[in-house]
Amino acid sequence: MSSTTRPQSLICEVTHRCPLHCLYCSNPIEMQKMETELPAEVWRRVFQEAAALGILHLHLTGGEPLARKDLAELIQAGHDAGLYVNMVTSGVGLTEERLAGLVQAGLEHLQLSFQDADEARANYIAGTRAHAWKLGLVPLIKRQRLAFTVNLVVHRQNLDRLEEMIALAESLEPNRIEIAHVQYYGWALKNRNLLMPTEEQVRYALPVVEAAKTRLRGKIHLDAVLPDYYANFPKACVGGWGRQMILIDPAGRALPCHSAGILPGFSFDNVREKSLSWIWDQSPAFERFRGDAWMSETCRSCDRKERDFGGCRCQAFLLTGNMEAIDPVCTYSPQHGLMEELRKPVGDELLPIYRNS
Amino acid sequence: MTPDSIPQMTPGYRLHPIQDVVLIPEGVLELSGPSRDILLEVDGKRTVREIVHHLAAKYEGADENEMLDDVVALLGRLAERGVLQG
Ligand code: SF4
Ligand code: SF4
Repeated sequence: MSSTTRPQSLICEVTHRCPLHCLYCSNPIEMQKMETELPAEVWRRVFQEAAALGILHLHLTGGEPLARKDLAELIQAGHDAGLYVNMVTSGVGLTEERLAGLVQAGLEHLQLSFQDADEARANYIAGTRAHAWKLGLVPLIKRQRLAFTVNLVVHRQNLDRLEEMIALAESLEPNRIEIAHVQYYGWALKNRNLLMPTEEQVRYALPVVEAAKTRLRGKIHLDAVLPDYYANFPKACVGGWGRQMILIDPAGRALPCHSAGILPGFSFDNVREKSLSWIWDQSPAFERFRGDAWMSETCRSCDRKERDFGGCRCQAFLLTGNMEAIDPVCTYSPQHGLMEELRKPVGDELLPIYRNS
Repeated sequence: MTPDSIPQMTPGYRLHPIQDVVLIPEGVLELSGPSRDILLEVDGKRTVREIVHHLAAKYEGADENEMLDDVVALLGRLAERGVLQG
């Protein structure tokens, strides 16, 4: 059963190197080393193949994309292929000159994330004194011809200050604000108890987000991705497995989702050896959870399967140990009770765990 | 957006070279009807009225005033979504 949908976006983790040590980093605990990183000429071919597959957006992320000296070359390659080029960055180390070079190469959108409205707390979360640098960078970004998004990553340690965080983002006058809850994959899993918001926090956040959306309408577009830990039904993870996007890790492995690397028994084809269209149409990893044949009877006979495609496989695996299980976020899952366990308040004496490399 | 506004594409928002979509930071906006033809005329130099006057010549028998209302409304929606400035 090969996919009937075409991918829309290509997410490229061009490096895992990063000067920050965010407590919520979703990169894997074992990161790809610099020596294994794909060279620019392979990326160039991959971008051409992506465009031929009908992909429109290229998202350069990491790690910190700026850690690659040849970043402008990568952007140029994406632009030459006709892709819309976006970069997600911490901005650390970015100068006006380098930024101008990236924009000239074809960068169209830049996303800069903020960890808190309060400098000391933001630096605590990033494990690095990066907050003031980021603020200083904003006027330089705004002088360039490109779209600008402020990302706010929220969790237990900052959700109470969501209004202040939105106010900070607003004062930076971006085109967009994106509010995302931490996802508990990779490194973030180590800090889950420290970062998992309480139910009250989530309940407080919802109307704050709605009020901000209304207030900012016509000025700043606000997108918010809410946590599904407190929902009754799962969301369509990555728009459905093998339906909308392809993620390439720094070494060239093509994954159907950011954290698919944790799933047992998988092998991911590498763009060094295989074309992107082969990977999309034929690779076993992308085929694995397409359609409904793999689903439990509960999902297969449920109307929502066309909307959530059975929920998140990584979440199912992390929480139940079985990657084919019904996503436990779903009320119909016999293991839905696990979610309640997770939502139970934990003590405040927890210590943060930073990556030291 | 008024007939005298001078609309301009926002940096980072652009028409796809062939498809009926606008590429925006978070994805695509689907265009319908004559939207693409109208957006192709947006150049940051001409007013909406001038653009409509130019387009009216192409669409024979079109009522220019009616067209102006429609185009102002369409461009207004796109401006609210951040696609256009001005
Ligand atoms: S989450 Fe933080 S530490 Fe992880 S890659 Fe992004 S900026 Fe670096
Ligand atoms: S039963 Fe399956 S398809 Fe239905 S809502 Fe739950 S996870 Fe989604």
